[in-house]
Amino acid sequence: MSTNRTVDVVIVGAGAAGSLYAARLAKAGKRVVVLEAGPAWKLDDLYSSQIWARRLKWNGPLLMQPPGQSAFSHTQSTGAGFGGAALHHFGAWPRLRPADFRTRSLFGKGLDWPITYNDLRPYYDRIQAEMGIAGDARQEVWRPKGAAYPMPPHRLFKQAKLLARGFSKVGLKTAPLPVIINSTVYKGRAPCLYDGWCEAGCPIGAFANPLVMHLNEARQAGAEFREHCSATRILTDKTGRASGVEYVSQGKKESLDARVVILATSMVQNPRLLLNSASDRHPQGLANSSGLVGAYLTTDAVAIIYGMFDEETENHRGVNAGQLLSRGDHVSKKRPDIFGAYQWQIAPSLKPNDLLGIATSRVDLFGNELHNFMRKATKHLASMAGFAGAVPDRDNRITLAKETDAHGMALARLNYRVADNTRALWNNLLEEGRSVMTAAGAKEVWTGPMAGGHVIGGTIMGADAKASVCDGYGRTHDVPNLVLAGSGLFPAGSGSSPTYTLYAVAERSAEHMIKHWDEYAR
Amino acid sequence: MQMDRRDFLKKSGLGLLAINLNGLSLLMSPSEARAAAVPMKVLTPEEVTTLEAFGEVLLPGAREAGLAHFIDYHLAVEAKDSLLMLRYMDWPAPYAGFYKAGLMGLNAASGKQHKKPFHELNATQSDALVRSMGQGMPEGWEGIPAPLFYFVVRSDAVDVVYGTEEGFEKLGVPYMAHITPPSKW
Repeated sequence: MSTNRTVDVVIVGAGAAGSLYAARLAKAGKRVVVLEAGPAWKLDDLYSSQIWARRLKWNGPLLMQPPGQSAFSHTQSTGAGFGGAALHHFGAWPRLRPADFRTRSLFGKGLDWPITYNDLRPYYDRIQAEMGIAGDARQEVWRPKGAAYPMPPHRLFKQAKLLARGFSKVGLKTAPLPVIINSTVYKGRAPCLYDGWCEAGCPIGAFANPLVMHLNEARQAGAEFREHCSATRILTDKTGRASGVEYVSQGKKESLDARVVILATSMVQNPRLLLNSASDRHPQGLANSSGLVGAYLTTDAVAIIYGMFDEETENHRGVNAGQLLSRGDHVSKKRPDIFGAYQWQIAPSLKPNDLLGIATSRVDLFGNELHNFMRKATKHLASMAGFAGAVPDRDNRITLAKETDAHGMALARLNYRVADNTRALWNNLLEEGRSVMTAAGAKEVWTGPMAGGHVIGGTIMGADAKASVCDGYGRTHDVPNLVLAGSGLFPAGSGSSPTYTLYAVAERSAEHMIKHWDEYAR
Repeated sequence: MQMDRRDFLKKSGLGLLAINLNGLSLLMSPSEARAAAVPMKVLTPEEVTTLEAFGEVLLPGAREAGLAHFIDYHLAVEAKDSLLMLRYMDWPAPYAGFYKAGLMGLNAASGKQHKKPFHELNATQSDALVRSMGQGMPEGWEGIPAPLFYFVVRSDAVDVVYGTEEGFEKLGVPYMAHITPPSKW
C-alpha cells in the first residue's frame, strides 16, 4: 500500500457538495484532494443523446434491492464522475419551507431538522445569487421569505399553457418552476436554448452544473481532483479520529492521510463506506454509535400523469424538469386522513426514448401500434409528475450485503417499504393529476406506475447524538474531523427537490468549517 | 485505424460500433454492421435469430436498424461502459446472462404453447405471446421475469429506431443537439 503525503482535507466524491466544499476550502488556503470513483468528465463529453446520457449515471457497485421491490433506480438517481448526479439532474430548485424542517413538532410526524429555515435562508440566498435561478417568487405563493430570483422565469411552451389551464380550473395555483438554468445571460454564462438535453448534461453553461461552477473554481484555487479512485475505508488513528482514506486506483490499494475527511458520495455510498470502516474501536461501523448509519433512507413516491391532446403540445421544447410548479401542504382538509407535502412538476420536455421518454409512457404498446402512438405523442402528449413526500421510517435503511464488489468490499443492500400513508398520498396525487389533465382538455388520460425519486436520508443530521449520525453541519457526532455531505443528511424532505437545499446546507457547513478550522483539524 | 480508449468509447456511445475485422478497426452504425454481417461477439446465431424476430414484433424496423448488433456490442464491452437500458434496472452484471436467459424463456414459452421456436411463429401467435409477456409470466416461460425482459428489449428497440437523429427525423421533431453526434445510426 503506497501512501501519499498528508493533506488538509480529503473529499470523497466530486459531485455537487464535494465540489462546493473543495472550492470554499481551497480558496481558504487549505490543501484539498478530491477522490472520485468515476471519470473526469469535461463539457465536451456531454453529447446530446439519451443513450449517451447513461454514461453519466452511477456505474459502480450495485445496490442490492429485493427483486421486484426496487424503491428507486440507484443507477439513474446517482452519478459517476466529475459533477456527480448534479451533472445530469434536472435542476428543479424550490426551497424547503419552514414547516418542512419541523414536521415532528408541528404535526407529530417524521423528524425535525436540527436547524430551521431561518438558519438556512441566508445560504439559499447566497447560492442563488452565485449560481443563478430563473423563476418568479411573487407567483410562488408557497415560497418562504428570501431574496427574489436573480433571473426572470423561463418562457412557457404550449404544453405548460394547456396544463396551467387545467390547474386553474380545479382551483390549484401554478407558478413558473424555479430552475438552476439561465433564462438570460448570467455572469457570462449563456441562456437556455430549450432543446431538452438537460439529462445528457448541459455543455453550454446555461445549466449551472459543477463543471462550470465549483469544480472549476476549486481547481483554479489549487484543489486536486483525482478520477477513478474508489474509496474503500475511512482510516482512523488510535484516538478514534479520522486519519485519512483508503482507496483503490487502477487496481492498486492506496491511502491518503488528511486532517479532515469529508464524505460527499451518495445517500447509498456514504453509509456503505461508514459501515465498511468498522474497526475494533468502531465495531458497528464508523460514526455509528447511534446505530443509525443507513437508517431513514427516504424517497418520494412519484405519480406520473399523461394526457393526449387534440392541440399540439410542443413537448420537445423546454427543460426536463418541467415548466411549472404547484405545491401542496403537509395537511389538507381535502384529505384529512392523509399526511404529506408534495409538488407537481408540470410540462417537462420529452424525448422519444429512455426511461422517462415518450415510448415508456405506454409500455403496453408494441408493433405498429407503438409506431402510431409515437407519431401522435411526439406532437400531442403532455405530462406532469407529482412527488409525494414520504414520512421517514427508521426501518427503511441501507445495510451491508453478503455480496462483495471487485475489491472485496461489501455491497450496500436496501430494505425499503412504501408506507400505507405514502401510498395513499400517491393515490391522491393520481386522482388530482387526472382531474387536472381532464380539466385541461386532454382527450385521453392515463398514469404510470409508482416510481421513486428525490432520495434523501441514510446519514441524518440531528441535535441528539443518540438519534442521529451528524449535527447540523454534517459533522459526525462520534468523529469530530469526519464530515458528511449531500442529501443523505436530510432527516425529512417533504416531497420536494433536494439539490438546492443540499447546496445551502453544504455552503453553511463549509463556512462553519473554515471559521472553526482548529476545532475540526486539531 | 488506431483509436485510444476514450475516443473509442466516445464513438461507441454515439451509436457507432467499433468493429474489428481482420485486424482492422472500423466504425459502423448498428444497421451498417448488420448489413455487413459483422460476426457477433456474445450472442449465438440462434440467439440473434430469436432476438431479431422478437425486436421486429416489438417495433417493426428494429431488425434492420441493427438491434442485435447494438445489443451484442454493449454486451461485449465491460458492464460499466455498457449503454443498455438494463443499467437503469440495477440488474447485476454481466448483462449477457440476462439477455440469454430471456431469449431462452421466449423460446421455452413458444415451444410449450406452439411446439415451435419463437421466430417460426406466425404474426398472430407471436403477437399474442409478446402481449402476454407484458402482463406476467407466459405459459411455459422459464427464468428471468418476462415483463422485465419485454420492457428492456422494447426499450433497446426504441433506442435504435427512435433514439437517434434519424429517428427524430422520422417523427418530425428537431434533434436540436448542443453537441451533434458525428454520425447517424
